[in-house]
Amino acid sequence: MSKFYSSISISSRTIEITVLSAENLKSNRRSIKKNAFAVVRSNVGNDFRTTVIDTDGGSNPKWNDKLVLDLPVQAPALTVEVHCKTTTGNRLVGTATVPVSDFFGGYVPENYLQFLSYRLRDQRGDSNGIINLSVRTKVPPAPVYSCSAASASSSAATVVGVPLSVGKNIFSGVVTGLPV
Amino acid sequence: MQLSLSASSLHDRDVFSKSDPMVVIYTKGRDGTLTELGRTEVILNSVNPSWITKHTITYHFEFVQTLIFRLYDVDTQFHNIDVKMLKLDEQQFLGEATCALSEIMTKKDRSLIIDLSHREDSTRATRPQNCGKITVHAEESISSKTTIEMTLSCIDLEYKDLFSRSDPFLVISKKVETGVIIPVCKTEVIKNELRPMWKPIFLSIQQAGSKDQSLIIECFNFNSNGKHDLIGKVEKSLAELEKLHSSKQGEHLFLATAVGNHQENKVLKSRLFVDKFTESVQHTFLDYLAGGFELNFMVAIDFTASNGNPRLPDSLHYIDPSGRPNAYQRAILEVGDVLQFYDTDKRFPAWGFGARPIDGPVSHCFYLNGSSHYYEVEGIQGIMMAYTSALRNVSLAGPTLFGPVISYAASIASQSLANGGRKYYILLIITDGVVTDLQETKDAIVKASDLPLSILIVGVGGADFKEMEILDADKGGRLESSSGRVASRDIVQFIPFRDVQSGEVSVVQALLAELPSQFLTYVRTRDIKPNV
Repeated sequence: MSKFYSSISISSRTIEITVLSAENLKSNRRSIKKNAFAVVRSNVGNDFRTTVIDTDGGSNPKWNDKLVLDLPVQAPALTVEVHCKTTTGNRLVGTATVPVSDFFGGYVPENYLQFLSYRLRDQRGDSNGIINLSVRTKVPPAPVYSCSAASASSSAATVVGVPLSVGKNIFSGVVTGLPV
Repeated sequence: MQLSLSASSLHDRDVFSKSDPMVVIYTKGRDGTLTELGRTEVILNSVNPSWITKHTITYHFEFVQTLIFRLYDVDTQFHNIDVKMLKLDEQQFLGEATCALSEIMTKKDRSLIIDLSHREDSTRATRPQNCGKITVHAEESISSKTTIEMTLSCIDLEYKDLFSRSDPFLVISKKVETGVIIPVCKTEVIKNELRPMWKPIFLSIQQAGSKDQSLIIECFNFNSNGKHDLIGKVEKSLAELEKLHSSKQGEHLFLATAVGNHQENKVLKSRLFVDKFTESVQHTFLDYLAGGFELNFMVAIDFTASNGNPRLPDSLHYIDPSGRPNAYQRAILEVGDVLQFYDTDKRFPAWGFGARPIDGPVSHCFYLNGSSHYYEVEGIQGIMMAYTSALRNVSLAGPTLFGPVISYAASIASQSLANGGRKYYILLIITDGVVTDLQETKDAIVKASDLPLSILIVGVGGADFKEMEILDADKGGRLESSSGRVASRDIVQFIPFRDVQSGEVSVVQALLAELPSQFLTYVRTRDIKPNV
């Protein structure tokens, strides 16, 4: 029983990723004209969030779109993909891997707004622009602790950092940013 | 900056009435010469005067501006004469006071109270001084808080590379009174483009000096070896650039070419456009200093064997018995001199790297003071003493690793963040050569780029500093770590010190000139406001 709770309770953490912008995006060696969007995936499971489509930023799109993601503890990294919507479908422009260690347990204190940038690489592995993010790791508000402790009365001590339950329920595949 | 002055409890020099005081303000040059900045009006019959005349002085972050205030009692017989015409040696001297402009700037209310002293009295140490006090208040004029946002572009740039188009970037510099040219702002490099449009640049009027100050905008072709070719340049003030923007006209670049014995400006086909020009009033660097932000200075010194045996005169670490400072000491003194005013406790972390402390293995980050518990030393003099004692106590070794020192500095900066501190850290690394752990250094810098930290690297000696140029991100692309993370902003500034051996000051100025904008990028992206 207690083992079950501990694996559930600290199985994921909530992070708030604002996908700010990208720079110098190219597709087939040509600068992208319009309609770029970004997808943030947690590498475990199939959880992802998508930004709005930037219609006029060209090869330097700006989204400034805040995405909230529950990140499983065992996920070592996030993947950020930039796609471009075209008449023939969506084309993957570039991918960046964001190690979770860059914003959990690194130099900076929790709740600190971090500005992180990553090199994007296309499917051949060639560098293709840069993506700029800001990340804030969310510390759950205090009432959540007491509430979960009550439900898990037998193992209150092991219940630490229960994620907000709304995170999972709302997920439907095309969620574009939760209000905070 | 506008200075206003008042004084209290002045000496009463007149027999039948109180003194009639006037202040003469001087600025002290590096060579010790005094230049008169201006005089106040004479206030009649007062020992607690408050003068109305304001004096304007341009504040520079990158060097120490010493001010001297001399008070005179002006006799009644001279009261009809314009103060500018007064002969000072005919007046009674009431006392003088001296301070650095940055001391005033870092005070919360920007007022500094200084005791006046009297030169004649000072020889008689037994008698207590009581010449009164002078209060100096400095206020930033509104115009200097104005920040200009400009988007610049060029067309028809010339080919400079053999097989591809040029990789242009712009450097904007100002010419100060002494004729020295100080870069104030740079754009990113745009690869392979003859019609570049750079990202918006932000320039405060304070950085530029004034709106009518002539600025030199140079367009360079980036070269990874650090020797960038000048494509062409334009000389314009901000006011002229604004006109250029409203007229939507391009300005032709020119290039100075030697024709025979004299220089001639060749006008090029290439043109510069100002696509956007907006003014806004933003919190300035000084607002943040007065609003509770502090700059903390840290030093790391290279003790690798390539510096040469410190006992021999040809070593970069040689301590000259005559007291002439070596290159390391000069760099500490010159940079520390400017920065110490912004650090209230004047306790500086100081490290050494690349040497073997007594009986130990090679350390890439040891405490300069020889202690094993605390790394801070007291004042610039404390750094100097710790440096000379470290030279006696460690044996130089290698290789040259920056990673450990940068990581240590970053952990201090993050510790202060976690404690809610409003501090910004400046790490000065003085080194003689090529860094061995280039990738680790890059990783450490990229990781630290999100922290309140700037890194100044001073290269001493004659080594090839090509790799340092790579670390200084504004001279090339953005720094990238081995994991694919990219620096979120530029935090490194590199300068080879050999250029200053003739005693010029411009190199340290150029090193420090970019600090205010690195600081502002940090606080502005985070929307941190100064405490008012």
